Amino acid sequence: MIRTHQLRKKYGSHLALEGLDLEVAKGEILGFLGPNGAGKSTTLRILSGFLPPTSGRASVDGLDLSQQSLAARRRSGYLPENFVAPFEMRVEEYLRFRARLKGMGKKDAHRRVQELSVELGFQDRLRQSFGALSKGFRQRVGLADSLLINPPALLLDEPFSGLDPMQRQEFRAILRQLAADGKAILFSSHVLPEVEELATRVQILSRGRSKAVGTLQELQHHLQRQSPVLLRVVAGACKYEELLQQGMKHFVFTWEERRPQEYLLCLEDAKQRPALVRWLVQKEVEILEFREVRPDLDQLFRSLVGEESA
Amino acid sequence: MRAFAALWRKEVFAFFTSPFVFVLLGFWFLLNGLMFSVILDTQAVQNDLSLLPPYLFGSGLLVWLLLPAFPPLLSIRLFAEEHRMGTLEPLLTAPIRDVAVVLAKYFAACVFFLLFWGGVLLLFLLLQLHHAPMDWARIWGGMLGAMLVSFLFLATGLWASSWGGNLVLAAGGGAALNYLLLFVPALFELDEGWLGRLARMTHLPNFLDRGFAAGLLDSYAVVYLLSMSALFLFLTWVRLVSRRWVP
Repeated sequence: MIRTHQLRKKYGSHLALEGLDLEVAKGEILGFLGPNGAGKSTTLRILSGFLPPTSGRASVDGLDLSQQSLAARRRSGYLPENFVAPFEMRVEEYLRFRARLKGMGKKDAHRRVQELSVELGFQDRLRQSFGALSKGFRQRVGLADSLLINPPALLLDEPFSGLDPMQRQEFRAILRQLAADGKAILFSSHVLPEVEELATRVQILSRGRSKAVGTLQELQHHLQRQSPVLLRVVAGACKYEELLQQGMKHFVFTWEERRPQEYLLCLEDAKQRPALVRWLVQKEVEILEFREVRPDLDQLFRSLVGEESA
Repeated sequence: MRAFAALWRKEVFAFFTSPFVFVLLGFWFLLNGLMFSVILDTQAVQNDLSLLPPYLFGSGLLVWLLLPAFPPLLSIRLFAEEHRMGTLEPLLTAPIRDVAVVLAKYFAACVFFLLFWGGVLLLFLLLQLHHAPMDWARIWGGMLGAMLVSFLFLATGLWASSWGGNLVLAAGGGAALNYLLLFVPALFELDEGWLGRLARMTHLPNFLDRGFAAGLLDSYAVVYLLSMSALFLFLTWVRLVSRRWVP
């Protein structure tokens, strides 16, 4: 439904996207994850028809954005990051204008706006001007705008930014329902729990390149191979950081301090775990806890893009 | 067509709800009213009222000072303000052709500018009410010419507005372009060669002075003004298209 192939985008000498391939099927929610400047918004802007790619292809419902832009735009709804409408316009006026702009008849536009305002829970704000709405309601209006012509694909750029926890929960429920209705949804975020909770598949982007793609389970499995273990030790005179650096000469692993006296170690080979424990005991480290941990998206994200963003 | 009509209506509505536009309209009426009364007070016009339209619409303060400045102030909101506010992205990702976006915005501005001229027409109607003998051929001619020039200046303003979100640059750029269109031909008008001929053929105040404001419908001037407006609309369209399709 939503597809890019070897998508590249250059802004002057800066390469924002470098050969990006992505695919979102009908009924699927793809969470597009990456740090700021990874190329998420650029991808969505290309798919929405706002920006041209430097090379490569982008299509919605089989319609190429470079060749059939107008038709492709009819098949997708786009919610830009920080969506705004003219402040002086009433919500109802704005949405009816947008429906007419998208080719709907007067009666259909009126009916659809009423319908969406009930579905998205802003029916009592229809008479308010857009400028008087809270961030949460503005996002709902933006989502309603993208849903007006009931497109089969949705492109949502940071749809949860600025929403409070309740609004986020409601917004997630709405998106889940839309996916259940068969829409292909591509949404970008740099908030990991949002992606973890909502996405049926995740694609991690860093510096314009796809770093990983798959279901959460697949990505966890990918990280599982790196055997993350949690090491908790007794506070003492020992300088554990120096010790762990020493350990890296004997074992292949990366480590990070999570809390004082608590470290997350990622061994390249799980078979090395017993040897590592023996070595730590030999060094007189008083171990409180040494256990395998189930990797989460946060770890995967950091392991894939942490070094680069640093 | 439906999308074009929807955008056109929205733009006209936006003009009517903008306080800045009404301040602009107020200034326009005030300055035009002042000019009108000053011209009306001159001995020549007192003796022959038919000179009022050529004095007002001809090569005077209106064409040299007000006309180049006001249309770009009106057209800044069409693209530059949308760009600044962040509403351009939803507009340009909607399924509407770029040419329809340009034309809907331009015609909305043109229709609203009729209101500016309506105020001027009202001054003539007031005189008529006082049984003053009016030369309506010159009045309509002068108004038509001034309107066509203002539509050209709206088109240049629209083009300047399409370059980005800086309102000062959009208004200043549009006005500067309009002054160039007025002054450059004026500088070379006395030249004996081809440059002078070209300057005389493109000198806007000449069209008003010797044509429209004299009650004559100069087809060359009409075609020239409409073509120049179309050229700047085309450039605005190119700007939008290039934004979308030049990698």
